[in-house]
Amino acid sequence: MSTVQFAGISKSFGPVHALHPTDLEIPQGQFLTLLGPSGSGKTTLLNICAGYLAPSAGRVVVGGRDITSLPPRQRNMGMVFQNYALFPHMTVGENVAYGLTVRKLSRDEIARRVAEVLRMTQLEGYGERAIRELSGGQQQRVALARAIVIQPDILLMDEPLGALDRQLRKEVQFEIRSLHKARPRTTLYVTHDQEEALVMSDRIAVMRAGRVVQLGSGADIYEQPADTFVARFLGESNLLEGTVRTLADGRATLDVPGFSRSLEGRAAGGLRAGAKASALLRPESVRAQTGGLQARVGERVYLGELIAVKLTLDSGHELWSRRHAAEWSGRDVVEIGWDASAVSILPDASVQS
Amino acid sequence: MTGRVLLNAFVALVAAFLVLPILAIVPAAFSAQSFIRLPPDTWSVRWWHTFFADASWRVTLLASLEVAALTTSISIVAGTAAALGIARSGPRARAFFTALFLGPVVTPAIVLAVALYSMARATGLVGTMTALVLAHTTLALPFVVLNVGVSLDGLDRRLLLAAAGLGADDFRIFRTVTLPLIAPGVVGGAVFAFVTSFDEVVLSIFLAGPTVKTLPVRIWEEIRLAYTPVVAVGATVMLLLALGAASVSRVLSRK
Repeated sequence: MSTVQFAGISKSFGPVHALHPTDLEIPQGQFLTLLGPSGSGKTTLLNICAGYLAPSAGRVVVGGRDITSLPPRQRNMGMVFQNYALFPHMTVGENVAYGLTVRKLSRDEIARRVAEVLRMTQLEGYGERAIRELSGGQQQRVALARAIVIQPDILLMDEPLGALDRQLRKEVQFEIRSLHKARPRTTLYVTHDQEEALVMSDRIAVMRAGRVVQLGSGADIYEQPADTFVARFLGESNLLEGTVRTLADGRATLDVPGFSRSLEGRAAGGLRAGAKASALLRPESVRAQTGGLQARVGERVYLGELIAVKLTLDSGHELWSRRHAAEWSGRDVVEIGWDASAVSILPDASVQS
Repeated sequence: MTGRVLLNAFVALVAAFLVLPILAIVPAAFSAQSFIRLPPDTWSVRWWHTFFADASWRVTLLASLEVAALTTSISIVAGTAAALGIARSGPRARAFFTALFLGPVVTPAIVLAVALYSMARATGLVGTMTALVLAHTTLALPFVVLNVGVSLDGLDRRLLLAAAGLGADDFRIFRTVTLPLIAPGVVGGAVFAFVTSFDEVVLSIFLAGPTVKTLPVRIWEEIRLAYTPVVAVGATVMLLLALGAASVSRVLSRK
């Protein structure tokens, strides 16, 4: 297990910048997720880390050693591919043992470590099975077992749960999480699924158009998104567009057309007085409040314990609220409000890439 | 309903047209007479006895097997290597080398024969095993390149990346991942190569000599002198070997 540092790593394919110069550090034993839509550069960064792609500039340093020009086979990394890339002509045991056989370990040592990792991944007794006899979830576990059995310096995973159905995906998320808790490995995980990122990661790097736009814990990013793109990508959000009126001491006020009073909230970085910006209100913070703004209750979506309600303000703005069902029961016109502490004023994400 | 009956009848007719002349050679080989006549009036295995007792036949059969075996071996190694190279190259090089390797197959056999004959004369190789093997290889190689190429197209590149990530060097990746997965293509190519060499006659007529002669050349020579059932025996032997090769490839590809 080692600390990974990306220093000024970039990648261009001809005129296309897949990855702008990026600095990123994964401390030893940390689970870092690259989260972003397709084309955001997250898989490019992962492949550069694995050595499958050479960066156009910059260095990859693992445990203090510059490995930028090392071929993949000398990097000691465990990779879990999107569709697993298991060797179809080998059994489960042979797949898992592959990296150990390459390392010329003794037969006994290989057998011992394969048995151990199969137990860890709940594949005990599957060693002799052919790959095609396994379910998707089992294949996913074999891929994970094959990657961790070599005791890699870094574990790399490229959307490893994409092919699983929702229920199974949740189970495997928790399995991977508890495996990581039991024995923390430096892990670089790529996904476009925000929930997956929140459940599994120590830290999340949100990527967009070849750049890391925000880096932090799941809570940091959810509660204090850097801009409207991050706010939209992670979690549900109500965004009210307006103009920044004042900006001081990490707080800002925003004039929103149709609102008689300006909105106050935490100021994200990159705001300028007089410039366009948006106020973020998470649905769970929009609640009924006597003496608040008048709103008409529209669509109701039943979510089990909670209910999502579409509220239309007199100004014409629409807000979604997600609260306990009792809060909105049986009323068509309500008065609503929110705590100023729940409001963030965010710069609009620039559209250019 | 009538349409279906008509269709079946038509299919049967086409099948008969294609297969019957080939099958007719088999009873001809069991004739007791000294000339081929269908059906034979009396039956015997005397011509089979002649075929295997007469050194001039036995030697050509062995020569054919030897040429085919050598041709197949060279084609497998060179053809697989070529297919790997083509699979790795860019689209333009790919198109060029594919055309290059398919050249001998689309060139009229007689043109190729004349060309190779003049080369063999210039190098003093006419009538040698080397000349026959090299000539047959030009025809057999494309089948290996083509078959292995199809297998390589179906090979998931990420398996190779996965193996490299697990620490394997290029040769180990080839031995443990690539080769086992393209094996059906190699076997298919080998069978095609063997059969191509075994029944090749045009190039062989030009390049064979009094000491080195393949079975098809011997049959062709015999048929010009005497139309005896031993020719049918030789043809039947070739038919059996071709069927055998086809069955081998089916059994192996099913695995």
